[in-house]
Amino acid sequence: MAEAVEGMMGLGVAAIAAPVLLVVFLGIFSLLDQRLSERTINKAIQAAIVTGLLSSLGVLALMLALGARHVVVYVSEWVNTAGFHVAVKFVFDRLSVPFAILSFVLTGAIATFGMRYLHREQGYNRFFVLYAVFLLGMVMASLAGTIETLFLGWELVGLSSALLVAFYQERPGPSRNGLWIWGVYRVSDAALLLAAVVLHHMTGEGDFDRLLGAGPWPAGGASVSATQAFIVGLLLLAAAAGKSGLVPFSGWLPRAMEGPTPSSAVFYGALSVHLGAFLLLRVSPLLERSPGLCVVMVALGLLTAVLAYLAGSVQTDIKSALSFASLSQVGIIVAEIGLGFRYVALVHLLGHACLRTLQFVRAPTLLHDYHTLENAIGESLPRPVLPLHRLITEPTRLWLYRLALERGYLDSWLRSYVVGPFVGLFRRCDALERGWTDFLSGARSRESDDLKPTPARIEELI
Amino acid sequence: MNVSVTPQDDLSPNSPVSASDKRPSHLTDLQEAIEQAAHLLPSQGPITVFIHHNTLHAFENLPFDEAVQQGARIFGCHPYLTEDRYRAEWVRGRIRFAELREVLREDLKEAADEKVLDLCTRLELRLAMLQYPLRSGPVEELLWHVAETDALRRVRCEAASAIREQLIAETRHWFLRDLRETGNGRCRTERGNAGRECDAAGLSAILNGIFERLNEKTIEAWSNGEWEEFALRALWGICCQGVADLPPFVPPPPTPIRHRDLLLAATGADSDLLVHDILIRFCAAFLDQGLASWPLPHRDEGFFRAFCALYRMGRPPEHWRRGLSQELSRLEDARVSPLESIHESLEILGVSSAERHDYLAATLLALRGWAGMIWQMELRGDRVVRPVPRGSLVEYLAIRLVLERLALAETARDTLAFTGPLEALRDEARKYLDGPRPPSVEQRAFVVFQLAQVLGWVPEKLYRLSKQEWHVLLREIETFSSLERRRIFHQAYERRFYTRSLDALALHVRKPAATPLKPRFQALFCIDEREESLRRHLEELAPDAETFSLAGFFFIPMYYRGATDAHFVPLCPAGIQPQHWVVEQVVDPFDGSHQRRARRRRVLGMASHHLHLGSRTFALGALLATAVGVLASVPLLARIFSPRWTSRLRRRLGHFFRTPPPTRLQLERRETAPGPANGQVGFTLEEMTDIGERVLRDIGLTARFARLVLILGHGSTSMNNPHESAHDCGACGGSRGGPNARALAQILNDPRIRARLHQRGIAIPMETVFVGGMHNTSNDKITLYDLDCLPASHRDEFASVHALLKQACDRNAHERSRRFASAPLTLTFEAARHHVEGRAEDLAQVRPEWGHATNALSIVGRRALTRGLFLDRRAFLTSYDPEQDDAEHTILTRVLQAVFPVCAGINLEYYFSYVDNSGWGSGTKLPHNITALVGVMDGAASDLRTGLPWQMVEIHEPVRLLTVVETTPEAMLQVLERNDNLGQLCRNGWVHLAVLHPKTRQISTYHNGRFRDYQPQTSSLPAAASSVDWYRGWRDHLEFARIEALSS
Repeated sequence: MAEAVEGMMGLGVAAIAAPVLLVVFLGIFSLLDQRLSERTINKAIQAAIVTGLLSSLGVLALMLALGARHVVVYVSEWVNTAGFHVAVKFVFDRLSVPFAILSFVLTGAIATFGMRYLHREQGYNRFFVLYAVFLLGMVMASLAGTIETLFLGWELVGLSSALLVAFYQERPGPSRNGLWIWGVYRVSDAALLLAAVVLHHMTGEGDFDRLLGAGPWPAGGASVSATQAFIVGLLLLAAAAGKSGLVPFSGWLPRAMEGPTPSSAVFYGALSVHLGAFLLLRVSPLLERSPGLCVVMVALGLLTAVLAYLAGSVQTDIKSALSFASLSQVGIIVAEIGLGFRYVALVHLLGHACLRTLQFVRAPTLLHDYHTLENAIGESLPRPVLPLHRLITEPTRLWLYRLALERGYLDSWLRSYVVGPFVGLFRRCDALERGWTDFLSGARSRESDDLKPTPARIEELI
Repeated sequence: MNVSVTPQDDLSPNSPVSASDKRPSHLTDLQEAIEQAAHLLPSQGPITVFIHHNTLHAFENLPFDEAVQQGARIFGCHPYLTEDRYRAEWVRGRIRFAELREVLREDLKEAADEKVLDLCTRLELRLAMLQYPLRSGPVEELLWHVAETDALRRVRCEAASAIREQLIAETRHWFLRDLRETGNGRCRTERGNAGRECDAAGLSAILNGIFERLNEKTIEAWSNGEWEEFALRALWGICCQGVADLPPFVPPPPTPIRHRDLLLAATGADSDLLVHDILIRFCAAFLDQGLASWPLPHRDEGFFRAFCALYRMGRPPEHWRRGLSQELSRLEDARVSPLESIHESLEILGVSSAERHDYLAATLLALRGWAGMIWQMELRGDRVVRPVPRGSLVEYLAIRLVLERLALAETARDTLAFTGPLEALRDEARKYLDGPRPPSVEQRAFVVFQLAQVLGWVPEKLYRLSKQEWHVLLREIETFSSLERRRIFHQAYERRFYTRSLDALALHVRKPAATPLKPRFQALFCIDEREESLRRHLEELAPDAETFSLAGFFFIPMYYRGATDAHFVPLCPAGIQPQHWVVEQVVDPFDGSHQRRARRRRVLGMASHHLHLGSRTFALGALLATAVGVLASVPLLARIFSPRWTSRLRRRLGHFFRTPPPTRLQLERRETAPGPANGQVGFTLEEMTDIGERVLRDIGLTARFARLVLILGHGSTSMNNPHESAHDCGACGGSRGGPNARALAQILNDPRIRARLHQRGIAIPMETVFVGGMHNTSNDKITLYDLDCLPASHRDEFASVHALLKQACDRNAHERSRRFASAPLTLTFEAARHHVEGRAEDLAQVRPEWGHATNALSIVGRRALTRGLFLDRRAFLTSYDPEQDDAEHTILTRVLQAVFPVCAGINLEYYFSYVDNSGWGSGTKLPHNITALVGVMDGAASDLRTGLPWQMVEIHEPVRLLTVVETTPEAMLQVLERNDNLGQLCRNGWVHLAVLHPKTRQISTYHNGRFRDYQPQTSSLPAAASSVDWYRGWRDHLEFARIEALSS
C-alpha cells in the first residue's frame, strides 16, 4: 500500500517533470542560439508528452485501484512566516486528472500534427519552444494545488498564447493582435493575482485543500463568509472572463486566429479557452458560498453564449466561426458551473475540447467538405432558417445583424471607454513630465522625439 | 506612379456604359477611370476553381523588364529576387561568371569597353559591382561600421591579394615620396596639387586625422598592417572628399498620392486600419457563398444599398464612425448614386482630375484582394453560386471613400490636431515630411571605397581626380543601381538554365531513342510537366509503347455533371466558354440501386451538414459536446497518427453509399440546340467527328494505330488544402480532366464516327480500342473508365498494359518522392507509393504535391525527338508533327494558341509568387483562413490573399518559360506575325522562344524579332541506364540526361 502511494507520488512528479525538462531542454538550446534539427525537437516533444501522459494515466489507474480521491504531491514551501505561507504543490483529483490527461492527449495530437504542418517553416524551433511552454503551463495549471502554482501555469499559458498569436512577427497584424491579447491577459492575470492576495489576506494561505475544505473535489466547504466569497469570487470570475473570452473580453478570440492553424486549434478550440472555466471549477466550493455570485456567473455565461452564438452565425471565415462556436459553449459551461452542475460542466468541457479541436484542424478542408456534402445532397447546401427571424421586425433584425457583425461592439467599447482613457491618462502624465524636463534642461530634453523609425524593408525595392 | 495601362479586351466590361447614356460626361469619365484602374487588381477568381494566370497580365503590352519594374513600383513588390539570393546562387554555381559577363556585354553592347575615366572599363566596373556585395545602409549604421569594425584596418577579404599588396605598396610609396614632411618642408603642397589647390588642405586634414591614430614618428618602422590601415584611411578620406557636394543621380522615390500614405509617413498613424476593420468584414459578408448561416440582409440590392441599410442607424462606440450614419442617410435620402458619391468624395478630398487615375488605382489597390474579388465576381458571375450585381466595384469604392473621409478626419485630428477641410490635409501632412533625403556623403563614399579596394584604385589616383571626374565616376556607379544589378543577375540566372536545356536538347535530337514502328499500345497524356515523368517511366518499362500529349481538356470544352455531382462544372481552359453540356448517367438496370444510394447519400449528407452546423449553435452544440464530444478524439487521433489507414477504412465504409453502379457519359445529342436540360445534352455526330479529327491531327496520330490506346486526363486530391484546385488540370480550368479523357475515348470508339473519320482520311483500324482514364497526380493512382465495354479480344492485352501502368505510377511516385524532404531517399517503389498516398490523405500535410513548381520548359514537337531524355519533370510536352502540317501551318497555329497562354500563365504565376512570395503570392499557408468560400485570409481579418502560397512554390526556379517548337524559323515568324497575343508574349520577352528545325535539327533562338542559330556549349550529354539511376539520392533539380533503357 505504501509502495503504491510512493509509486503514485513518483508518477505524479514525472507528469510534471516531463514538461519542465522539455522546456529546459528546448529553451537552453534556443537561448544559446543553437538550432536543433526538426528531428531532435520532434523526439524531445514526443518523449515528454508520452512520459507525461503515461504518468498521469498511471496515477489515474492507481487512484482507481486504491480508491484514493485526493493525492497531493508536495514540492516545497517557498515562503513560510507566521500566519502566511506560499507553497508549491500539486493535487491529483477528479478534476485535475481528467484535465491533465486531456491536455496531454490534445497537445500530443496537435504536436504530431504540427510537426508535419510546420515542416520546413522558418519558425519551427520557436513554435515548439512556445508550445512546450504552453504545455508546461497547462499541466501546471491543471494540477496546481495552490493558487500561486495555478497562477504560474496561468501566466505561462498566457505568455505562450500571446507570442504564438504574434508568430508571424514580420507582419503588423499578428503583432497588433498579439498585443491586444496580451493586454486582456494582463487584466485577467491582475484579477487572479488580486484574488490570491485577498485570499491570503483572509486565510493566510493559498492552498486549495485547506481553502476549499478538506473533502476531495467537488465536495468540501470553504471556510469563508458569503461576502468574502463574493469579493474573491468576482475577482476570480474576472480572471476567468479574460482567459476564456467571456463578455466583455470576447473580442480577443477571433483576433487569436493569426497564428498557425495547429496553435489556433489547441489553444482557442480546446485548452487555453477552457482554462477560465477550469479555474471556476477548481474554486467552485468557494463560489457556492455566495448565491449572488452564482447568479452573476450564470448571467455572464449565458450572455456570452448568446452573444457568441449571434456573432458566430454571421462570421464569414471558418476560423472565426469556430472560435465563436467555442465561445458559446464556454459560456454555457460557465453557466453550468454557476448552477452547480460540476460534473456536467466537466464532461461538457472535455467533450467540447475534443470536438472543437477536430473541427479546427479540419478547417482548411472546408471547401473540400462542402463540395462533398453538396454532391451528396445534390444541390447547394441549405442555409438553416434562424428561429428568431420569424419573430422579429426588420429594423430589429438589421440591428441584431449589425450587432453580430460588429461582435457586440465589445472591442470598440473597450477601446473607447477603457483603453482610450487609460492611455490618455498616461499620455498626460508623460506630457507633464516632458514639460518639466524641458523646463529644467532649458531645451528639448528627449532625443527620441526626433527619431524617425527606420523603414521596414531594407532591400531596395526599385 | 504611372498606371496608364491599356485595358485588356477580354476584361473590359460593357454593360454599365449602356446605363450611363443619361449620365453627365464627368461621371462617364469617372466610370472609365475606375474601370481602367480595376485592371490592376488581381484577376484571380474564387479559389474553388483556381486558374493560373500571369500575375502582371495587365502589363503584357510592355517588355518584361519594364513591366516588372513598373509593377514593382505600383504594387510595392519585388521585381526580381534579392541581390543576396542571386549572389548565393552564384556561390553554389547556379550562376556562372562567364555567362554573367556575356549577359552584361550584351546589355551594354558597344558601351561595354568604354573606359570609365582611366580607371577601368565599364564592363569591369559593373562586373565588380555584381561580383562583390556592396554594403550599404542607413548613415548611422555605416558610421558605426566604419568606426567599430575592421573596415578601415583591413582590406576587404574579397580583394585579390595582388591588388591588396599593390594598394598598400603604392600608397606607401606615394606618401613617402610626395607627402612626407622632410627636412625641406612638407612636399604635400608642391606635387599633390596638380590643379587642385583647394584639396591640399583637405588632404592635410585627412593625414592629420590618420596621424592621430598612427604614430608618424615611427613611420619608417611601420609594419605592413599599419601601412594597410594608413592606405585604407587615406582612401576613405579621399572618397569622402571626392563625393562631397555631388548632385544625386538617382531620382528620389515619388511621394505617395493618397492622404493616408502621407499621413502615415508624417505621423505613423494608419487611417486604413480603421477603414479596413469594417470593410473587410463587410466585403466578406457581401461576397459570402454560404459560409455564414445568417446571410447579409439586402445583399441582392448591391453593396451600396446593403451597407447603407445596415449602417444608417445607430450610434457606434467608436468616435470616428459617429458621422457615418448621418452621411449614409444623406446619401440615401438625396438619392446620390454611388458614382456621384465617388465624385463628391474626390472633390472633398481635393483630388484634381490630373491625378485622378493614379489616386483611384492607389485607393483600389489598398485592399486589392477584396476589391479584385468583387471585380472578378462581377465580371464572371457564371463561376459562382451567388454572383454579385454589376457595378459592385463602383459601389465598393463609393463606400470606401466615405469611410476613408471619416477615418482621415479623425486621424488627422488626433495626430496633427488638424480640423480643416480634407482637401488641405495632404499639404498639411507634407509639412511634417522631411522631403526627399539625398544620400549622405558617407553612404556614397562607402560604395566607391569598397569598389576601390577590389579594383585596385589607389588613393593617389583617386586624389588626382578633378571634381568633374568624380562626377563622372559616381554617376557611373550609382546609375548601375541595385535594381539594374538584379536585372542582370536574373538574366544570367536564366541563361544558365537555357544553355543547359538547349545543349541537352541539341545533343539528344541528334540521336534520340528509337520509336517503335509497330507500337504495342499508345497512350495520350496531358501536356502537363508533371506527366513527363510518368510517360518516361512508361516508355522505359515498355520500350514498345508510344506516347503523345495534348492539352488536357482534349478539345472537348463542356459543362460536365457526374452521376453524383450537384452542379455542372466547366471543363476547358478559362478563356473558353463551353457551348455543350455532358452528364454522366447510370446504366438503366442499375438505376434503382443508384437512386437508393443517392437517397442514402442525401440523408447522410443532410445529417452531417446539420450536425456540423448544429455543433456551432448553442443548444445542439452543448448536447453534442457533452454527450458524444469525447468520441471526436477517435477520428482526431486516427487521422493524425495514421492518415493512410484511416482513409482506407473510411473508403471501405463509404462503399455502401458512394460507389455508383456502372455509368456512361451521355455524349450524343439529338435535338439541335445544345443546353443543360434533358435531351439537349451532348454533341452531334458531326461535332464529335470534328473533335476526333482535330485531336488526332494535332498530335499527329493519323496512322500506325496500336490495338490499345489509353487516354489519360489528370487531377489531384488532397486534404486540408484550400488551394487543392490549383493542382488540378490547368487546361480544364482548374478541375479534373478525367471526364474529358473518357469522352474522347467514347467518341473515338464509336464506329459511326470512325466511318466519318475514314472519309476525312483518318483510318482507325477495327481492332483499335480507346480507353479513357484519369491520373491522380497527388497519390499517383490511375482510374480507368468503361472497362466493362472492353471487347474480350483485348482483355489479356489490357491486363498486361494495366499492370505496366501501375508499375509506371509506382516509379513516378518514387521519382516525386525524392523531392519531399520528409521521404527518405532510400524508399522502394512500393514504399514511395504508400508515402504519396499518405500525403494526399494527411490533414497535416501542406505539400501534398509540388504541383507545377518544377515548370521551366515547354517543348512542342514530336515525342520521337525527346524520347529517352530525362527532363526532370520540368517540361510541358506537346505533341505536334510538322510533317503532317499544311503550308499555312494551321495545326501549329492552333496548337500554339492552346498551349502558349496556359503554359506561360502557369510559369509566370510561379515566377511572381516565388520572387516575392508575400507580395505577389499569398505567403505561408499556415495561418490561412478560408473566408466566404472564395479565398483565404491571413488570420482573422486581412486582405484576401491571391497568388500561390510558399509551400507550393518553395522548390521553384524562377525562370521564364523557354518554349522550343519543332518547326522552321520562317514558319514560326509567320505564326507570330499572324497571332498578336503569341507575338506579344515573345516580343516582350515574357516567354523565351527557340525553334528546332524538323529536318536539319538545328536549334535557333529568338531575339528581337529574328532567329539566331544556336551553338551548343558542350559536346556530350550525361547518360544513365534508367531514370532511377540518374535521379537516385538527389533532392535538387537535376541536369538533363540520356536514358539508355530506351535506346537499347
